[in-house]
Amino acid sequence: MATTTDQSSDSSDSDKGVLAQWTQGVIGDDEKRSRLYRALFYVACGFFLVTTLFPFYWLLVLALTPNSQILTGDWSLPVIGLEFPHPQGFNPQAFVEVFQQIPFHLYVFNSFVLATITTIIVLLVASLAGYVFGRLEFPGKGPLMLAVLMVSYFPPAAFLIPLFDAFLGNAVVIPFLGIELFQPPRLVNTPGSMILPFSALFMPLAIFILTTFYAQIPDGLEDAARVEGTTRLGALFRVIMPLSAPGVATAAVLTFIAVYNEYFFSSIMALENVPENWSPLVGGILSYQDQYTTDFNLMAAASIVGVIPILILVVVAQERIVSGLTAGGLKE
Amino acid sequence: MSTEQDSDTAARESRRSGPLVTVTRWLENLGETAFAYLLLTPVFVILGAIALYPLLRTFELSMYINVLGTGDPEFVGLQNYVDMFTGERDPDFPGSTTFLPDVSTSSSFPFVHVSGWFRSALIVTLVFTVVSVFFETIIGFGQALILDQEFRGRRLVRVAIIIPWAVPLVIQGMIFYLMFHPSTGFLTEYLANIGILEPTNTLNDPLSALIIVTVADIWKTTAFMALLILAGLQSVDRSLYDVAKVAGASRWQQFKLITLPLVLPAVAIAVLFRTIDAMRVYGLIDIASSCTVVPSLSCMVVETFNTNRGLASAIAFVTAGIIGILAMIVIYRQYKEGF
Repeated sequence: MATTTDQSSDSSDSDKGVLAQWTQGVIGDDEKRSRLYRALFYVACGFFLVTTLFPFYWLLVLALTPNSQILTGDWSLPVIGLEFPHPQGFNPQAFVEVFQQIPFHLYVFNSFVLATITTIIVLLVASLAGYVFGRLEFPGKGPLMLAVLMVSYFPPAAFLIPLFDAFLGNAVVIPFLGIELFQPPRLVNTPGSMILPFSALFMPLAIFILTTFYAQIPDGLEDAARVEGTTRLGALFRVIMPLSAPGVATAAVLTFIAVYNEYFFSSIMALENVPENWSPLVGGILSYQDQYTTDFNLMAAASIVGVIPILILVVVAQERIVSGLTAGGLKE
Repeated sequence: MSTEQDSDTAARESRRSGPLVTVTRWLENLGETAFAYLLLTPVFVILGAIALYPLLRTFELSMYINVLGTGDPEFVGLQNYVDMFTGERDPDFPGSTTFLPDVSTSSSFPFVHVSGWFRSALIVTLVFTVVSVFFETIIGFGQALILDQEFRGRRLVRVAIIIPWAVPLVIQGMIFYLMFHPSTGFLTEYLANIGILEPTNTLNDPLSALIIVTVADIWKTTAFMALLILAGLQSVDRSLYDVAKVAGASRWQQFKLITLPLVLPAVAIAVLFRTIDAMRVYGLIDIASSCTVVPSLSCMVVETFNTNRGLASAIAFVTAGIIGILAMIVIYRQYKEGF
């Protein structure tokens, strides 16, 4: 945009059209071209900011509008008559009521604990697998990777009933033979009944991310560490993992957020939707809804509260993700 | 750094005996293949117990007719699979009397020209997957390129772009449900005026509901794509760009010859997992619209789970089979281009 004004000041060859001149100027002049890039860049930035953040604004509008007004809502602005959502009335008490109706903080705590433990398990186990798949050559590598991937082909419902049976403490049965093997401990209503399935279900993605990133670290760096006397596992955790920081942080963030927001398994494994049974965040949010009424404003306010821990996590983790390997650690 | 390393070696030197050292030495002396299998043990123990075991039980279940409240399950072999393809079990699906995918009764659903739940669900799921993954890849790549730059306020933009991924499914569904709900929606009118959505009963119209669900999915999961592709971009060695600049490569050439090939593995993983995930869409549909309006394959699994468990299991396995075929196509194409 600054480019246009700039161009008009030095319009020496006036026989060309303004647009042609401008294009000529942009193509020919590095300075102007980079300014055009920058302008386009900010336009794209602005566009993405609006489209990603608008639904959050809508959530805030819902939280601040008293519930009785939400379903009768008339969003036209008083001055210009445009339909643009804005809070009907101002009811910040919704954010207090969220905690008064149910112990919402306990639900958030449950989700946080479940997500943290699952992420640690997944990262540790997937790191070993990622190292093996990404850096070692051995017979059966392809089929084994495919076997890992195949776990994610199935709708989660396909795992649910047998796992639920086992977690209730019923005997584990050999499929098709009907022979009872052993009695597992009763895990329902405990974190174990959620962490175990989450670890298995979110494992394939983490393994594939880490495999991709570990494979990109040059062999020379690992060899150098080995020459200095580090063991193979030592090289994994001290050289390869730190150098793959963007990949590791991405796998961690994706796993953490997915578990934090999970409800399909949790709703079954927590026999009642109460925090004592490890019902997670989404269970809490759904408590504002019963057969007869839905408190949309409280659900919206609760979601905003629930997103805050993730917001903090993303702010912290993005520094890792884009810490970048700018130091040139990747050169052979 | 070197002093740290020195003290480290010294520390290791000082405890050259004991069980830990024995184990470490044994590990070090293992051949590559044995070492690889050993490190994979935890993964396959977890996947075996928590994934493979239930899947085998579910597969067993799919060979029984197990309708709730009809006594003992009856072994029927592959009958459930046959019934599903022939449409024999259609009356078991909720809303099957009101759901009208046939073009002769509903002109608003151009994709589906057949009656029958399974075929409708397959087509709906494929359309949803192709459209959402396509847009998510394009937009996600664009966002990742922006996030990769150094500029003022980049922290804010980064968080803003990633944060939709942090919204739970229930809330994502609610946001879009209320945005297009006949009495609260403020967007329906505009979009109906330009002919994109049905003006009334928007969320119960198959095509409108499918569009809304797809947009909702793109809004949220583009962040997933952007995050993965960004991680790929961050791993590109910056010095390559300096070399390219010296050689006189334009920005486009730098992108095509350096960025694209190096970031492709990350893009492939993102596309693969997004395709798998989109093929299993259920929760979003259930909350923002309804499984009887936009039937997906996973919808059919969940909706029949409490009434006819054998059939539900059969659908789950067929879904997995279809996803497997799609995944093989993605993997094969990637393999040909050089993984």
